[in-house]
Amino acid sequence: MSDELDLMDDLDGRGDTQKGMFMTFQIADECYGIAITYVDEIVGIQSITAVPETEDYIRGLINIRGKIIPVIDVRVRLRQEPRAYTDRTCIIVIGVKSTVVGLIVDEIAGVITVDEKEIILPPSLSQSTAGNSKYVFGLARVDNEVKLLLDPEKLIRDEDVEAFDESAPTGEVVEA
Amino acid sequence: MGEDFNTDSMLDMFLYESEQLLETLDSTVLEKKDEECFDEESINEIFRVMHTIKGSSGIMMYENITKVSHKLEDVFYYLRESHPENVPHLELVDHVLEVSDFITGELEKIKSGDTPDGDESKLVEEIDKFLTKIKTGISQKGEELPPENTYVEPNQFYIAPTGSESSKYYKVSIYWRSDTQMCNIRAYTAVYALKEIAEDIQYIPDDIITNEASGDVILEDGFHMLVQCQCSKDEVKGAIGETSGMERVEINDCTKQEFEMGFHEAEDHPIVIELDDKDKEEEKKPEKKEPAPGDYVIKNKEAGKSKKLAKNQPKQQPKQTYISVNVDKLDALMDMIGELVISEATVLQNPDLKVPGLELSNFQKSASQLSKITTELQDVIMSMRMMPLTNTFQKMNRIVFDVSRKLGKDIELEVIGENTEVDKNIIEHISDPLMHLVRNSVDHGIESKEERLAAGKNPRGKITLEAKNEGGKVYIIVRDDGKGLNKQKLYEKARNNGLIGNRAMSEFTEKEIYQFITFAGFSTKEQVTEYSGRGVGMDVVVKNIQAVGGNLEIDSVEGGGSEMTMKIPLTLAIINGIVMQVGNSTFVIETNDIKEFVRVTKDMLVKEPDGEEYIMLREECYPFIRLNRRYHLDDSISEIEDGIVVVLEHENKNVCVFIDQLIAEQEIVVKPIPSYIKKVQGLSGCTQLGDGSIALILDIAGLIAGEEKK
Repeated sequence: MSDELDLMDDLDGRGDTQKGMFMTFQIADECYGIAITYVDEIVGIQSITAVPETEDYIRGLINIRGKIIPVIDVRVRLRQEPRAYTDRTCIIVIGVKSTVVGLIVDEIAGVITVDEKEIILPPSLSQSTAGNSKYVFGLARVDNEVKLLLDPEKLIRDEDVEAFDESAPTGEVVEA
Repeated sequence: MGEDFNTDSMLDMFLYESEQLLETLDSTVLEKKDEECFDEESINEIFRVMHTIKGSSGIMMYENITKVSHKLEDVFYYLRESHPENVPHLELVDHVLEVSDFITGELEKIKSGDTPDGDESKLVEEIDKFLTKIKTGISQKGEELPPENTYVEPNQFYIAPTGSESSKYYKVSIYWRSDTQMCNIRAYTAVYALKEIAEDIQYIPDDIITNEASGDVILEDGFHMLVQCQCSKDEVKGAIGETSGMERVEINDCTKQEFEMGFHEAEDHPIVIELDDKDKEEEKKPEKKEPAPGDYVIKNKEAGKSKKLAKNQPKQQPKQTYISVNVDKLDALMDMIGELVISEATVLQNPDLKVPGLELSNFQKSASQLSKITTELQDVIMSMRMMPLTNTFQKMNRIVFDVSRKLGKDIELEVIGENTEVDKNIIEHISDPLMHLVRNSVDHGIESKEERLAAGKNPRGKITLEAKNEGGKVYIIVRDDGKGLNKQKLYEKARNNGLIGNRAMSEFTEKEIYQFITFAGFSTKEQVTEYSGRGVGMDVVVKNIQAVGGNLEIDSVEGGGSEMTMKIPLTLAIINGIVMQVGNSTFVIETNDIKEFVRVTKDMLVKEPDGEEYIMLREECYPFIRLNRRYHLDDSISEIEDGIVVVLEHENKNVCVFIDQLIAEQEIVVKPIPSYIKKVQGLSGCTQLGDGSIALILDIAGLIAGEEKK
């Protein structure tokens, strides 16, 4: 019964009002979007505790009201030159399944609504040329500007999962 | 069951109750296992347990559990009624434990959402045989067989009064709207609710649980109860509550006589279910006529079939009261108190307060009051998570009993300090290792009777299980008086298995040699037995113990026995740590791991050509780790004389760690590093410091292991 209720909630609550809404942010010259249902909150940049021996894009840990969450630098993740954080730099806290991760972005642009039909799949040619297109699941044109829509699951997982899976057994052996 | 009848909570209740009952059962049985036979009290106890389980599993429709418990109940019914002599006690103990195991297994299945489909027929058959055996043993002596306690569907739950003067009696009638479904189940919910407050309940129709058709009767005539209790009408009404479809509830006073008369006019075969055996004699039996021989239903009543349906009177419970709380809630509370402690520090050490010339005496007063309360809060929540080791030790009792019997050894288990309290999380982690150690002792440690006699020892082996608190740690010791460990054999074995290379035996201390048995791939036992000796045991044990920050020490006297000591921390959640800084990063090391801090001069540093460094300290050489190099930290001190060297000790291994500076010692709340970040060797967790920043907790074992790997 509770499942039904949740479903109802989804339908007339989040589902309807947040459908097609994307939080957009600026990285370098491009504008990226992420489905708003994933977004938990946005916080300003704060002191980050680095964790050694992790991938370069994992910047470390931050403390949000007692919860310790990892943050990744989307700039670095998208293979762009890192740059110093300014007061416009923001952390978008997203929840993907049970994982909560903070995304460091240059600047928040705003919320846009995109009709599902208007989303264009990225042309297949670009997949081999641009390194970051595997995180982009679609393109949307809003006000004559193209927004790259990111798949957060791929953004935070993707090859890491594989890398992790591969390294896990060897790690075990080392410990034993 | 009914659609909106909450089976979940009933199932939870059933599982919880049954588990508790089985625990009592096990402990009762094991307590008496060494005696000639069960005394009356324990027979009653076992009977009661089986009866209750039979009843509740019947309600929950777990047929196999019902059958098995019913069978065992029969046996104890017989024991109780006819006091047979020459009952093979051990065999009986076995049967009881088998039943207990069977039901526990089924409960596990139910818990994990499976259907309890265990086959009970073999067990039932065996117990049947056993029952016939003890019965024929009697009949040969020409004694009269007591009538059999045949399972009858309970006709009426008449619960005998506990006979309190101040009790009030009510007649309660509940009527449901004519379109209500499953009235019998709803009625049972009402009975169930009233059980909480009532001393005694009778109701009609009596077969609401077993007979679905009774729902229609209730719909037509209403559901009537006679309730004896200490509370007011309103309380009774409150307990019944308001459920859907209920049309009205009538509660009328009635007299004791009326109550005792019950609904008998309508009944031919009432069964008395007594609340308390003690009151049996005083109780006026509602049934006047003498039982006819062989009339089992009445015999049942005479025997005082005990069923704890209603709660005992409150005044009979001077015991402490408990409520069970979801562990998640406790964890959440624990987290929040951790937060509170941190934010307290943030407030009290706020930079805004550091304005020169600020008058703060009132603030300081309130602040110290606040600190006192938070400290106390922390103590309370910690103590809430502490559980005595009693249950864990109880299980060991069972293991010793089982394994020793199957191996034909006579072993006594002594338990010391079972009330020692340990954090619940830790208890969960040590149960398995402890079980393994105990099994090892029984299987490998204690010799066979013949060997013991030949060695001039008491043929009865002895295993001691001891728990004690010492210096912030809990010691759990498994000691046996068996044959002990043979150093020579251990050494040869380890060498043959290629675990120690070619080092000579003299290079190792005694304790180091004993530690060989904890190496992976080491087994001293040639043959694999059912209980232990697959050679995968001890290394897993040690790993499990290390997982909770503990370690295992082994000591032994050849021919005199061995002693395994698990040293585990009292709690995992809050540790005492030293906060230190390297470059821009903050690290924490558990205070217990730290031996000393030293300032080192250049000449104490020894450098090998390949870059490896050592520290010579008081004629001893220690491996040296520069944290900044290890973790590639920038902006840190590299000049040895400017920083501080921390000497750490872990499992008799020493290591020196070079850091920039010390910051403070404080209690820290350990939090896991989010799983998104893959495990970094040498880091065991993180914590939040007073200013809200995050520090990483160093794991010494990991650091050392990482260094050895190089």
